[in-house]
Amino acid sequence: MIRLEDLSVTIHGAPILSEVSLDIAPGKVTGLVGESGSGKSITALAMMGLLPHGSTASGHAWLEEGDVLAKTEREMCTLRGNRVGMIFQEPMTALNPLKTIGDQVAETLVIHGRATKREALEIARARLARVGLPEDRFPLGRYPHELSGGQRQRVCIAMAVALNPELLIADEPTTALDVTTQAQILDLLKRLVAEEGMSLLLITHDLAVVSGLADHVAVMQAGRIVEQGPTEALFRSMAHPYTRKLFAASSHQPARVAQAEDVPLLTVENAVRDYATARLGIFGQPGRFRAVNGVSFTLRRGESLGLVGESGCGKSTLTRAILGLDALQGGAIRLDGQEIHAGPHLDATIRRRMQVVFQDPYGSFNPRWRVERLVAEPFHLSPEHLPDRRDRVARALEDVGLEPEAMHRFIHEFSGGQRQRIAIARALITNPDLIVLDEAVSALDVRVRAQILDLLARLQEEHGLAYLFISHDLSVVRSVTDRVMVMKGGEIVEEGPTEAVFAAPAHDYTKALIAATPRIPADWQGEQNA
Amino acid sequence: MLRYALTRALSLGLSLVVASVVIFAVIEVIPGDPAAYMLGMNATPEAVAALRGQLGLEGSVVSRYLGWAGGMLSGDFGVSYTYKVPVADLVAQRLWVSLPLALYALALSTLIAFPVGLIAAARRGGATDYGIMGATQLGIAVPNFWFAMLLVMVFAVNLRWFSAGGFPGWEDGLLAGLKALTLPAIALALPQASILARVMRSALIETLGQDYIRTARAKGLSRRQAVLRHALRNALIPVLTIIGLQFSFLLAGAIIIENVFFLPGLGRLVFQAITQRDLIVVESLVMLLVFAVIVVTFLVDLAYAAVDPRLRRRT
Repeated sequence: MIRLEDLSVTIHGAPILSEVSLDIAPGKVTGLVGESGSGKSITALAMMGLLPHGSTASGHAWLEEGDVLAKTEREMCTLRGNRVGMIFQEPMTALNPLKTIGDQVAETLVIHGRATKREALEIARARLARVGLPEDRFPLGRYPHELSGGQRQRVCIAMAVALNPELLIADEPTTALDVTTQAQILDLLKRLVAEEGMSLLLITHDLAVVSGLADHVAVMQAGRIVEQGPTEALFRSMAHPYTRKLFAASSHQPARVAQAEDVPLLTVENAVRDYATARLGIFGQPGRFRAVNGVSFTLRRGESLGLVGESGCGKSTLTRAILGLDALQGGAIRLDGQEIHAGPHLDATIRRRMQVVFQDPYGSFNPRWRVERLVAEPFHLSPEHLPDRRDRVARALEDVGLEPEAMHRFIHEFSGGQRQRIAIARALITNPDLIVLDEAVSALDVRVRAQILDLLARLQEEHGLAYLFISHDLSVVRSVTDRVMVMKGGEIVEEGPTEAVFAAPAHDYTKALIAATPRIPADWQGEQNA
Repeated sequence: MLRYALTRALSLGLSLVVASVVIFAVIEVIPGDPAAYMLGMNATPEAVAALRGQLGLEGSVVSRYLGWAGGMLSGDFGVSYTYKVPVADLVAQRLWVSLPLALYALALSTLIAFPVGLIAAARRGGATDYGIMGATQLGIAVPNFWFAMLLVMVFAVNLRWFSAGGFPGWEDGLLAGLKALTLPAIALALPQASILARVMRSALIETLGQDYIRTARAKGLSRRQAVLRHALRNALIPVLTIIGLQFSFLLAGAIIIENVFFLPGLGRLVFQAITQRDLIVVESLVMLLVFAVIVVTFLVDLAYAAVDPRLRRRT
């Protein structure tokens, strides 16, 4: 039994964890759920002895080998990767780009003196096959950049379990992955736990993921475990108010009324978008990759249209073409009848009428500007000089639920949710007809996400906005759109009213997507709602 | 990998052709008579005409260019106007000083910079790091000829370990030659090492923040192992770029150091050729240096691909 006892951590004096106690049973999956900043990852890093600089830990973290917190760094090096393995959220960057996957898996064995290089490679071969990367299709000599995100996460898992550790810690292992890949990785983890008898500590913000995988769940808030218990019992009772809030937010349904008028706003006709690929030979012609292949649809005034699909399906390419950032190779895109020509000649009025909110609330602002200037930036699209600029910024900020005084501050003074509100204010300020929401709520915690979804619903009603809502998160799309399109391989494979598509998907791919989406069993939810 | 190398070689070959056209144009085609320029104000028209013939300035621009470029390809760089010997011989002589000096200085600079940068990055924010950063700042700020004079004062004048200048030639043996080049190489290497160490440090610090270093630590590697096995090679790309630039600079940029130590190198040859208006030598030397820079660039490109598999395209 792995046991955390009164684990407390401070970083530079600030308390991060307070008296966390948790039992992790062998051969079982223990879920640790909470929002960002709740201390989930610090708990894991404390158990690995990898706390950031300036941290002090007290309490105990018992493994078979004794109290981890009492061990020296040298002793921890013999434990890490050997008795405790860990995988992380971002598989794209978690592997050394310069080493082959075989070498990286074998390194775990060599470092711990368990095998010679040659034996280690043999074992690596077996472990990679075990995680679904058989040698005939994924030779040991492959480099990480030749693999997809899901395949790289499999390599990370092979590395972490190479020595059959007692405990595997998985910190948001599927958050960066597509829904079908997520299902496969979760399935793999479940199988490894069952067959190899190790314990899995699964850290996630996603209640549905935990409900499908964990035997035992602990809910964390502000550095404390507020509730824990067997998964089903915990979901049925939801004794702690915070658990209930998390649950409510994760299945939040904003109050919205369909208000689409029967007037086309954005029409996309047979849009084709090609990319040049690497040249074949020095004098060869560059190849072509068709990222968007004959896509047509109409978005009506005031409508909320969803676009779902996995990474690489062409969603982002299509979005860039709609926004006039890239030129099409065929077909046409029109906003209110006016054709969108990408490049410097794009009509400023089109830009003004069509705004965008991106996924990353941290990367999409200039950090050296004050909020007033950030929000007012789209004004350069308006021909006339605006003497009431400051009033308009204040109004836009109020519209998104922020104090007008926020305009005098810098972006780093705001939380992720507040930043996304500022991004929406920036989009609103030109009174657009259409806002493209490109994964706009994907990086947010569930409770913040629920608030932003409410805000979007209210703004749509007040301003008669149309939304193009692009997301890989089917449940969110389901709750906020009137119609939905499913995109695969550059084509729209299914389209229809959202409820109809979700209730009775026609295309196999849509069915697969819906089936792969983790869901909290319906009969677990009755009691706390009643 | 082969295709990558061929593509790079082809593009660098093209740069070489373009460079030769530019150099030829600047020196021979633009208005003004090179012969009159070389002979100065008091030249007689007969002397100018004779030199024009000697320089091969008669005939069309294209045929002159082809003659010049073709001559260089076959090793004929023309005859120096001031030294009255073939330029090829002059350059070959000097190259035997400048090339070893550049390599020596580069080796020293790399040998100093790697461990220093590594230690500074590993002890980031500590006293050692501050000390190293201060010292390298000084190394960049102080001109290398001042280092050179300091070295001469200490090791030649006071301790008498080395001679203060001159070059005995390689005929006296490898050791004697290397000994004569040691002080100049150190003087050249110190500022270069300071730059390189700082680049190494910042590249390593950036690499150490990467997710795969965390993965390596989670696998059980110690900090030291993670640095040596995973961070170092990833930090090499920017370092290689700087090394390439430094070598090109060292080959021709040692004019002042060659003067301080009285070494018969390429830098001094260029300097003398320019002051004596010996355009034939200048033209050939500039072309040679361009060639050297292009070769070094090619080697650096190959080194990138050797380090980073993402640059090697699969065939």
